Amino acid sequence: MLWNQEPLRRLIRKVIGASPDSRTPDERFRDEALPHLPAVTRFALSLTRDESDAEDLVQETYLRAFRAWDQFVPGSECRAWLFTICRNTHFRTSLREQRVVAYEDAELEALGAAAVHAAAQADGLEDVFSRMDVMEAIRAAVDALPDPFREVVVLVDLEEQSYEDAARVLEIPKGTVRSRLFRGRRLLQEQLIEHARDAGIARKRRPNDGLEGTSNDD
Amino acid sequence: MMTEMLDCDAVMRQLWDYLDGELTPDREEVVRAHLAMCNRCHPQQDFEQSFLRALSASRREHLRPDAIKVRVLAALRADGFAA
Repeated sequence: MLWNQEPLRRLIRKVIGASPDSRTPDERFRDEALPHLPAVTRFALSLTRDESDAEDLVQETYLRAFRAWDQFVPGSECRAWLFTICRNTHFRTSLREQRVVAYEDAELEALGAAAVHAAAQADGLEDVFSRMDVMEAIRAAVDALPDPFREVVVLVDLEEQSYEDAARVLEIPKGTVRSRLFRGRRLLQEQLIEHARDAGIARKRRPNDGLEGTSNDD
Repeated sequence: MMTEMLDCDAVMRQLWDYLDGELTPDREEVVRAHLAMCNRCHPQQDFEQSFLRALSASRREHLRPDAIKVRVLAALRADGFAA
């Protein structure tokens, strides 16, 4: 360094209110990016649905993130940044085309959730999500969701990202995150309620349900 | 009489946004007030909340978290990472 920049740095910190940071870039990467490894691994697994592919994807994600570390804006959401790299890496390697979702109306989806609740009430399944061991059924239902819905459900409901951060990761408008999220949730609920009926948890079965099987355990 | 009243339909449309903490503070307050006094909407809120809790709890951890960490660190160090 040709001249001492510390007074200038101190002034900048004073102006922008940032605390002094004497860490090297690698140390900041260690402290800010590496702790998200479990979350990135979960996200990678949700994209690849295969453990071994997910491990490759996580490694590639962290290498790319490390090489691009100077582009990360300090103070911004590092986990969302890593998710974005992970997702871009996945699509670059899998060459999979993003499917277009034709039907996207968040308001209708929200009202659809009310209909699901009404159906659950009618079957005595109001407390279905707390009453039965639904974990495995939920995991299976999430895995079976079409990709555009699965992505938003994983980001918002499992990884606790805001609509805004999920929109950034997926490179879609916030309104699209919202409508896909609501639809994904509704599809999950329908699937889980059907699962509960099949498992014989429903209080009563209506005659015209059209369910296959011959459960006579009433 | 409240200054702004929402009907059940309007609350249903915003219930997910409300539960996700995505409403503006004003809007959130109006929805909260409706849910507190509405026998129709309140059970739906409970239902959706229990669904979201179960969904969040279904999060799957990687089977070999330590192995993946060792692997990623080794790859980073080979790439010049020094911390």
